[in-house]
Amino acid sequence: MQNKFKLTIIAASLGICGLFITSCEKDMPTQADYSGYVFSKEENGGNWKPVLLTGSDQIAVPAPEDVSSSAYQSELADLKVTMSKLSSSQKETVAYWTNNPALRWNEIALELIAKYNLIPGPNDDGTYTLPNPADPGATPNFPFAHPPYAVRSLSYLSVAQFDGLITAWHYKYAYNRPSPSSNDNSITPAYPDNGIPSYPSDGAVIAAASRDVLSAMFPLEKDYLAEKAAEHLASLKMAGVNVDSDISAGEYIGEEVAKIALARASSDGMKKAQCPKPVSDSLKTAAHDRFGWQWDNLEVPARPVGLTPLFGQVKMWNVPNVVDVRPPVPPAPGSAEFEENVKLLKKYADNMTEEWRAIANFWQDGLGTYTPPGHWNRFGKEYAIKYKLNPLRTARMFAYLNMAMMDGGISCWDAKYYYHYPRPINLIPNYKTIAGTPNFPSYTSGHSVFSAAGAEIMTYIFPEEGSLFRDWAKEAAISRVYGGIHWKFDAEVGTQQGIDVANYTLDVARADGAD
Amino acid sequence: MAIAMYFAMLFSIPGVTAQTPTDAIMMRQKEFCVVGAYDHSSFDQYWEGTYLRSNGTIATVKRDAYTAGVALGFFDQLNLIASVPYIKTQSTEPNGGHFEGAQGIQDLNLALKWQIIKNQVGPGKLYLLTTAGFGTRLTNYLSDYRPYSIGNGTTEYSLRGIVQYKFDNGIYARGSGAYLLRGQTKAERDYYYNNGSYYTAWMDVPNAWTYNGVLGILLLDNYLKIEGNYVGQRSTSGDDVRPYNAAQPTNKVNFDQVGASVQYYFKGFFTGLSLFANYSQVVNGRNLGKSSQYGFGITYQSGIFQYASEDHMDNSGK
Repeated sequence: MQNKFKLTIIAASLGICGLFITSCEKDMPTQADYSGYVFSKEENGGNWKPVLLTGSDQIAVPAPEDVSSSAYQSELADLKVTMSKLSSSQKETVAYWTNNPALRWNEIALELIAKYNLIPGPNDDGTYTLPNPADPGATPNFPFAHPPYAVRSLSYLSVAQFDGLITAWHYKYAYNRPSPSSNDNSITPAYPDNGIPSYPSDGAVIAAASRDVLSAMFPLEKDYLAEKAAEHLASLKMAGVNVDSDISAGEYIGEEVAKIALARASSDGMKKAQCPKPVSDSLKTAAHDRFGWQWDNLEVPARPVGLTPLFGQVKMWNVPNVVDVRPPVPPAPGSAEFEENVKLLKKYADNMTEEWRAIANFWQDGLGTYTPPGHWNRFGKEYAIKYKLNPLRTARMFAYLNMAMMDGGISCWDAKYYYHYPRPINLIPNYKTIAGTPNFPSYTSGHSVFSAAGAEIMTYIFPEEGSLFRDWAKEAAISRVYGGIHWKFDAEVGTQQGIDVANYTLDVARADGAD
Repeated sequence: MAIAMYFAMLFSIPGVTAQTPTDAIMMRQKEFCVVGAYDHSSFDQYWEGTYLRSNGTIATVKRDAYTAGVALGFFDQLNLIASVPYIKTQSTEPNGGHFEGAQGIQDLNLALKWQIIKNQVGPGKLYLLTTAGFGTRLTNYLSDYRPYSIGNGTTEYSLRGIVQYKFDNGIYARGSGAYLLRGQTKAERDYYYNNGSYYTAWMDVPNAWTYNGVLGILLLDNYLKIEGNYVGQRSTSGDDVRPYNAAQPTNKVNFDQVGASVQYYFKGFFTGLSLFANYSQVVNGRNLGKSSQYGFGITYQSGIFQYASEDHMDNSGK
C-alpha cells in the first residue's frame, strides 16, 4: 500500500516534469518566417544605374513571344498542368521561396559562411596549411570564410543580384508581358500578383546569379547550390508566376551578370591577400621601423602569417584610394591615453558584469558563425521583410550594405597592417579575455568598422530605424572592448572609419536614380 | 579551441559518497547524511567528433569542483538526495588562447530514490531501486563557453533503474541505467550553426542514456568499501565539434569512463563520519575531454551509532 503511494508520487512528479519540459521548449527557427507579400512595382527600376553593368540593357534580352501566340498559350497550358499536380512538398517549396527570394539566397549565403568559417588548425609538426582554392576539398577545406572573405562573397552576390534585377526591370517594362494570371484568370498564383510584368522572371535572375556567384565562392557547395537553384527555378512555374520563357530569360540574365561580377572578383586582388611570410614580415618590420611597435600572433603554435595581410589592397567598390580613409596614428604604448585604455580593459575584466558579457557574446560573431557582415545582412533581411521591400529594393539594400561593409573591411585591414598595432594580450601582462583574440593586428576594430558602415547604409534605407542601427553599431564596437580583445580607441576610431567609408557608397546610392 | 566537460557535471556527487542517485544505499526514515566533496579533473586532449587531439589554444583544461550534498530518509524506502556544486575551470599556462576561465555555483540536483526490492536470494541480497532526478541551474553561468562552461545550463530530468546483488561475504555487483531528458539552454548569441543555421539563442542539449557498472567489496567488518566502476554515456542526438572549433551545448557527447574508489567509515568517537577518495579516467569519448579525475570527501550520517556494526552499504530498515 505504502509502495503504491510512493509510486504515485514518483509517477506524478515525472508527469509534471514532462509537462513542464514540453511547455518550455522554445521554437528553433532555421530561416526567416515570411511568405509572399504585396510590394511596390518600381516601374522606373529599369532606369536605375547598375553597379557593374554599363547600363540596364548591356545584357541583351530578346522580345518575348506575344501572349496571343500559340507558343505562349502552350506555355500557359503547361503551367496550369504543373500547378494542378503539386505535391505537398512542392507546395512547401513554393511557400519557402516566396516572391522575394533574394532574402532566401542571402540566408543560404550566411549559412555557407557559418559552415566554412573555420580557422585551419596546426599540423602535428606545428606548421599550418592554408586552404587551397585549386584543391578546395583538401584539408583544410577552401574557403576559410573569415570576415573579409564573407563580406566579399556577400558583396559580389548582392551586386550581381542588383544589376541583374535592374536589367530584368528594364526589360519587364520594355516588353510589358503581363503575368500568367493576368492572361488567364483561372490561374491563382501562390503569391500576391503585384502587377509587375513577368518577362523576364526576376526570381530566375536571382536564382541563377546567386547560384553562380556562390558556387565560385564556395566551390565544394556547387552541387548543393545547383540543386537549390533548380528547386527555386521550378518553383516559379509551380507558383504560377512565370512561364518557361519568362524563366529562361531571367536565368540568362542571372548567368550573364554573374559572369561579369565574377570577372571583377577574379582580379580584385583577393587572391594575393593571404600573402607569404616574407611579405607579411616586411609589413611588420615597416610598422616597427615607423612606429616602434608591432603585433605578434600569440597562438600555440604561433601562426606565421596573420589573416589576409594584403586585404587592404583589394579593389574597393566606391572609395577611390584606401589611403584617403586611413585613420590617424593610434596612441603609442606608454602614452597617457594608452595607459587609460589599459586601465579600462582591466576594469572590465576585473568587474565583468552579466550585461557586458552578454554584449560581448551577442556581437562576437566569431569562428563558426556568419561573421559581423553576416550579422548585418541578417538585419537587412529582417528589415526588408518588416518594410515589405520589393525584390529590386531588397537587392539594392544588400548591394550597398555589402559594398560599404567590404570597403570598410578593406580600409580596416589597411589600417591593421599599416599600423600593425598589438592586441591587449600582447601588451598587458597576464591579461585574459572572454572573447577569442583574432589572428590580426588590433587597430582598428573590424567589428566597429563593419558595423558602423552597415548601420549607415541601413539608416539610409530605413531612416525611421536609424537611431537603432547606429546604437547597435556602437554596441558592437564596445563589445570588443568588453570582450578584452580591443582597445577602446580601436573601437571608437573604427566606428568613425566605418561612417567615413560608408559615405562614399552613400554618394553612389543617392545618385543611382532610386531616390 | 575547445571541448565539453560534460560528464563531470552529471556525476557532480563523486561516485562513492554516502549515497548517490546511482547506488543502492538508503537512509532510514528520519535519518540524514551530509557530504562535502572536492574533485579535480583535467584534460590535455579531447575528442573533436571521434578524433582525439590536443589544442595549444586551451593547453590543459583544469576543473575543480566543491560539492555539498545531503540525503534525507523520508521513509525507509524513499529518500531525497540533493547536491550543489561550486565549480571553477581554467587553462594551464602557457596557452595560446589567453581565455578567462569560469567559476560559480552550478546546478541544484535533486533525486528521489525508491527501494523497490531488497530480498535475500541465495547467498546474498538482491536490490532493485529506481531514482527520479531533477537538475536546474542556480546561477546565470554561460553554458555556451566551452570548454570553460561550468554546466549545461538546462533542466535535466532523469529516470534510473538500479539493480544490485550483494553476497553475504561482502562482495557485490551493481548496474544501473538512466535516461537523461534535457531541455534547452540559452546562449548569449542569437545565431549558431548546428549542421545548419539556427536563428535563436536557445540551444537543444541532447538527451542521453547513461550506464553505470560497479564491482565492490566490503572489508574490515564492513568499515572499508572498495569499488571499481564504469560509467558510460550515449547522447541520442547532437552535432560534432567542428575542426579546431569550439564545442557547444548542442554537441553529441558520448564517453566511457573507468574508475575506482575507496571509503572508510570511522568507529568510536568519530562514529558517523566517513572519508572517501576516488579516481577515474575517460578512456573513450566523442566531443569531450579525455579527462582524468580524482576526488575526496567526507560524509556524516546521523543515527549511524545504532548501526555501527552493521552493513554500511545497507543500513536501511531490516
